[in-house]
Amino acid sequence: MRVAYGSFVVLEDVELTAADGEIVAVTGVNGAGKSTLLRCLAGLRRPDAGTVAVLGSAPRDDPAFWRAVVLVADQPTWYPGLTVREHLELVRLTHEPVRGWCLPADELIDTFGLSARADAVPLDLSSGQRQRLSLAAALARPSRLLLLDEPEQSLDAGFRQELGSLLRLEYAAHGGTVIMATHDLEFAAAAGARRVLLADGRLTVLGMVRPNP
Amino acid sequence: MSAAPADAPSADARSADAATVAAVRSFIRGHRRSSWLDWYATGFVVVLVTVWLSDFLAEPFSRLTAHAGAEIPAQTAVGAALVVGAAAGLVMLGQAFGPLALPPADASWLLLSPLDRRDVLRRPAAATAVVSTLAGGLLGVLGMAMAAPYLRQEEHRLLWAWLLLAAVSGAGFLLAAVGAAVLAQPWRRWRRRLRAACAIVAVAVAAAAVTAERLTAMSRAVTTWFAEMSTGTAGVFTAAAFAAACAAAALVWRMLPRFPADVLWTDSARAGTTRMAAAFLNLPLLTWIAEDNHWRGRLLAFRPWPRPLAFRSWPRLSPAFALAWVDWRRLARRPALLVAVAASTLAPALAGAAVTGHARGWTTAAALLAGAIAAGTQGTTATRRDTNDPTLRRLLGVSTGEALAARAVLPALLSAAWLTLALVLLVSTGVLHGWLWPLLGPVAGPGVAAAAVRIARTAPINPAEQGPDTPIGTMPPWLITRTFSVVVGFIGAYPALKAVAAGHVHGGTFIAQLVLSAVVLGGYLMLVSSREG
Repeated sequence: MRVAYGSFVVLEDVELTAADGEIVAVTGVNGAGKSTLLRCLAGLRRPDAGTVAVLGSAPRDDPAFWRAVVLVADQPTWYPGLTVREHLELVRLTHEPVRGWCLPADELIDTFGLSARADAVPLDLSSGQRQRLSLAAALARPSRLLLLDEPEQSLDAGFRQELGSLLRLEYAAHGGTVIMATHDLEFAAAAGARRVLLADGRLTVLGMVRPNP
Repeated sequence: MSAAPADAPSADARSADAATVAAVRSFIRGHRRSSWLDWYATGFVVVLVTVWLSDFLAEPFSRLTAHAGAEIPAQTAVGAALVVGAAAGLVMLGQAFGPLALPPADASWLLLSPLDRRDVLRRPAAATAVVSTLAGGLLGVLGMAMAAPYLRQEEHRLLWAWLLLAAVSGAGFLLAAVGAAVLAQPWRRWRRRLRAACAIVAVAVAAAAVTAERLTAMSRAVTTWFAEMSTGTAGVFTAAAFAAACAAAALVWRMLPRFPADVLWTDSARAGTTRMAAAFLNLPLLTWIAEDNHWRGRLLAFRPWPRPLAFRSWPRLSPAFALAWVDWRRLARRPALLVAVAASTLAPALAGAAVTGHARGWTTAAALLAGAIAAGTQGTTATRRDTNDPTLRRLLGVSTGEALAARAVLPALLSAAWLTLALVLLVSTGVLHGWLWPLLGPVAGPGVAAAAVRIARTAPINPAEQGPDTPIGTMPPWLITRTFSVVVGFIGAYPALKAVAAGHVHGGTFIAQLVLSAVVLGGYLMLVSSREG
């Protein structure tokens, strides 16, 4: 596919296929087009040329699509007067009856280290804790494709490793596909991701990311 | 033996710091690229506000030369109550801005620096004092205007002397109140207490005004009190106000060098956003900020979602109802807001009396419409957040149409309840006659709620957006969309509003209102559903 903003070409002849249960790490310098690629996959930006197929059809901004796909980019606007735990419960509740892998709110709160702040409103969390909550909310409901735009931002190094393992050992192991833009190769390695590099609008497949010795 | 810390600033150093603040400000002034357009814009706003204020206050000020014989006693009581209520409202408004706050750039560059804090804060403190003094003086004169016809019964009284006393009293009391707000600013608990006290005063005087309108004896008591007030009593009032203002000013002055930076930092950032929002009449942004500020720093007891109600009963309800429950829960956690909304039902009775001297007609109908829409919007906060940022809605995977239909229930109920209560008050104060009126509330509520829901779904105000040219200039798109929402509400409640304006209600009004409510709200929801799924 090809995407341009005016005369500036962001993506040119980009081809990417991800299988069920696979984790793909899209890397590249700032402004390389990683977020644009994710927006195209989420159906929020139509490519100027070429086609995008997500789960067998073109992405579209409707409830059926968003029941299968989760996009975690900028942190969402939280509902006023709802606590951390209640947000997570609400996410699960709107997907009942739950069919597919996801984690219950209590387990997510423990796993994402939010136990001490479970009864606070998201506004009162630190930026790293809010990022944890955004990611936890993505795993509080079943989905088949997880699109993550720099999920490591604001997270401490230790938790990045835990998140990578969680994605690999739980989400992908249950058949979910993850496509994430990231700058952290250690995190990508912890997730067992296949690395692709975006540079000058073109995509290069670099293979599995190996952790540093 | 104690010794001064080695790094304690000496008097010389402090004076050097003071000179530095002046130097910094001078440097900033010297490098600011302000054009004649900035001066023109400021001047234009000042002229516009002056013209608008003088036009708005012309009628109340005309009372200064009126005689008691031609006066309606109730208007004096209502007017005096509104002046007191306005003063309480101004203090609350001041709290929204700090009251002590720095421009955001000063907060970033001057606050967290070795500069003497009193010098840094001298200018905003002086500006706050000047604005409070002017506003208080104006309110004092307005209060005096309310009493003037009765004071004039005693020909020996010097009106101009009384005007001066009233201006000084008003300025003194408001300055003292704002000074108290500055003193309370660093302590969250005292801020809340002061805000609660102002809210209680505002509600109490509003209730008193409505009662005075109904009970002639009370109005007479107020006017008699005015008529019998001696110059000596007024002088004592003025002296007390002056003393209170001086005491508050002295305490604030002593506090300035130790004013906590974290409080100023937070309040200055909020005041900056608030000022920007106010400059563009961005009421939605102001309420958004207020909402976030309310929840900041609170720990809330977890309440499980009503799962059995929504999912285990038969027939099973849509997940959209769980989503709609967000607003119900928010309101349940803000009982004070519900009380304030309930108290605002006094407004239609007051608005008619204060503006026209009698509480019927289109003024009352307009107040009913505005109040019912405002009450309805209290149930649309989550819709607003989703309109501004659809990320969470996408994560929840609920269709827009279903979510909106489920979420329309609460604003419809709120608007209906508000209208019912307001109509009960209009009947009990004798403005409307017959107990059929309150029954119009539940029927008209859904029609008005369509406006509240539409407003919540309107895109946030973007001041940079250009709209169509009209004979009075460019019309901003946000103004067009919001005006259209109000028109939708007007159409949705037209039979009820027309009946209130005319003062007559009959069976046909109920049928017409029922049909129109269903058509307007149902039609709007179907339109959104078919467009967005």
